[in-house]
Amino acid sequence: MNYYVSLEEKEVLVGVAEAGVAQFKIRIEDREIAVDAHKVERDAWSIVIDNRVYEADLVVSDDDIEVLIKGDMYPLRVLNEQKKALSRVSEAAEGGKQLIDAPMPGKVVKVLVMEGQEVEANQGVIIIEAMKMENEFKSRAAGKVKEVFVKEGDIVEGGERLLLIE
Amino acid sequence: MFSKILVANRGEIAVRVIRACREMGIESIAVYSDVDRHALHVRYADYAYRIGPPQASESYLNIDKLLEIARMSGAEAIHPGYGFLAENPDFARRLKDEGIKLIGPPPEAMRVMGSKTLARQTVSAAGVPVVPGTKESIETEEEVLRVAREVGYPVMLKAAAGGGGKGLRLVNEESEMRSAIRMARSEAKSSFGDDSMYIEKYIERPRHIEIQVLADQQGNTIHLFERECSIQRRHQKVIEESPSVFVTDEIRKEMGAVAVAAAKAVDYEGAGTVEFLMDKEKNFYFLEMNTRLQVEHPVTEMVTGIDIVKEQIKIAAGEPLRFKQEEIKQVGHAIECRIYAEDPDKNFFPCPGLIETLRIPGGPGVRDDSGVFEGFEIPIHYDPMISKLVVWGKDRQEAILRMGRALSEYIITGVKTTVPFHIRVMNNRHFIEGDFDTNFIDQVFLKEEQERIPENSEVAIIVGAIEQFIREKSESLKSDEVREGEGISLWKSSFRPGFGRRF
Repeated sequence: MNYYVSLEEKEVLVGVAEAGVAQFKIRIEDREIAVDAHKVERDAWSIVIDNRVYEADLVVSDDDIEVLIKGDMYPLRVLNEQKKALSRVSEAAEGGKQLIDAPMPGKVVKVLVMEGQEVEANQGVIIIEAMKMENEFKSRAAGKVKEVFVKEGDIVEGGERLLLIE
Repeated sequence: MFSKILVANRGEIAVRVIRACREMGIESIAVYSDVDRHALHVRYADYAYRIGPPQASESYLNIDKLLEIARMSGAEAIHPGYGFLAENPDFARRLKDEGIKLIGPPPEAMRVMGSKTLARQTVSAAGVPVVPGTKESIETEEEVLRVAREVGYPVMLKAAAGGGGKGLRLVNEESEMRSAIRMARSEAKSSFGDDSMYIEKYIERPRHIEIQVLADQQGNTIHLFERECSIQRRHQKVIEESPSVFVTDEIRKEMGAVAVAAAKAVDYEGAGTVEFLMDKEKNFYFLEMNTRLQVEHPVTEMVTGIDIVKEQIKIAAGEPLRFKQEEIKQVGHAIECRIYAEDPDKNFFPCPGLIETLRIPGGPGVRDDSGVFEGFEIPIHYDPMISKLVVWGKDRQEAILRMGRALSEYIITGVKTTVPFHIRVMNNRHFIEGDFDTNFIDQVFLKEEQERIPENSEVAIIVGAIEQFIREKSESLKSDEVREGEGISLWKSSFRPGFGRRF
């Protein structure tokens, strides 16, 4: 199987083939790498490449995979070939919609914008309190507030939709 | 000695105090809010009482309820830990009236040290150096210029009624002073309705160094040397160590004596910490005294071998200190990393939630003071600190390498933590060389980190691809099973084109 793996702005094509139990043949560009990979704990891989040992902790959410190795975090996006083709289509169709959701459970302290309001890039749109700290969420790009899904005082779950900006 | 102690706190510090009680043969009483029934401090205690709903104001800060539980449970003493009610003079006074011993200083010492101006006046009178400047407001511009010349530039111009950075001006040289006074005055006038100003010497790039003291009820006061707490993020300590690389033996002795004098000036009792700012020339100035057990007390315990919590309890029970100043020795080097449920890669955003996997490091010289376990849900209502990882080494170099080793073994999944941040600090050249001040993390380290190129990106990419490959494989196996298992209902799918189709 081939995967398009992107790390920040760079994207590489990675070929994965099984070569026995927990053994993989990895192809990156024109190099082939033999990898011994064992899932040893939930979300933790033990990797041996050329007899060198690595421990990798993962946070997986669909195609976004965060890999932590030796204190460094590598935020990856891993797409198979079909998904890569689909993403090319949807990126074109989406036209800059921006859904802001709560990354963690908390309480809505203040909604800073109203539906229909124009916002600028980096403008604060909502304040969520969690663990005694208030966190302001900003709009990534300029646009118009299409919908506000919550109101002040609401308790929100992680992943809950807060605002839609177009 | 007491037979029953109530621990008016939660999290790792409640566990720490309960451990001391158990080792002393004292029964412990835990209190818990509705979200803490499963917490370790409840399970390690001998007795437990529900104290109220999750919000701290209705549970761990509820003085009436705590007193009611203390009476009901027959507690002879209360250990407040740190935070919550630990430095609340009203709580201390109420306990005194009830005849329940607070494991901490008398209410009056707490009150004096709790007030910035009163504390400075009191310790200054006892010969403790404070940041040079004026404590009363200055009237005329001429007077301001004269005082500024006296303490030496740069100086801070502060509104007497100030707060929140308003009416605050850093003045680097005399030519800037007149316009700075006018601006600060008008800002202070509009913000606080009071334009009186005072002046303090500005300490450039200070280090934060503090002295641990112990004082018994008989009037014996000793110190347990210093801790360096300059590694701070937004003025919050995140890494502490003892001894400080910056402090010489001579200055250590001097600071110790000054800290003891500060404690004696308020008839202190129990464990306390005198905090100082130190400038580049190693001049030190009193900052404040914390009238409680500190978060970072374990580093002192590791280098002195003295269990500070047990000493607190013995002092509160009226026992005299068993050691003299000259018997206290600082051996080796200890470092503590505060591990928070925060995402260091997303601007330290808090990450409460369920701890799915937890593997705690061990081996020589490693101590983990924690209040959590695998399967514990970190509540959103309290401080997001989940553990303090502490190591001891024969010297600073060994301690740093040991901390790096222990951090690399520390596995926590389900929530993001600051473990990776600490690994990066342990690898930082300036930290290793001891070249830092209180601005280091915010102004130097985070910038250097942005420029550093992590070296294992190819391994990460390989793991990511393998993870996706394995996940897709097991998903397609599952969907095959579903289709096979459907048997007689297979006909349904012919009416629903596309059913079971996967991408």
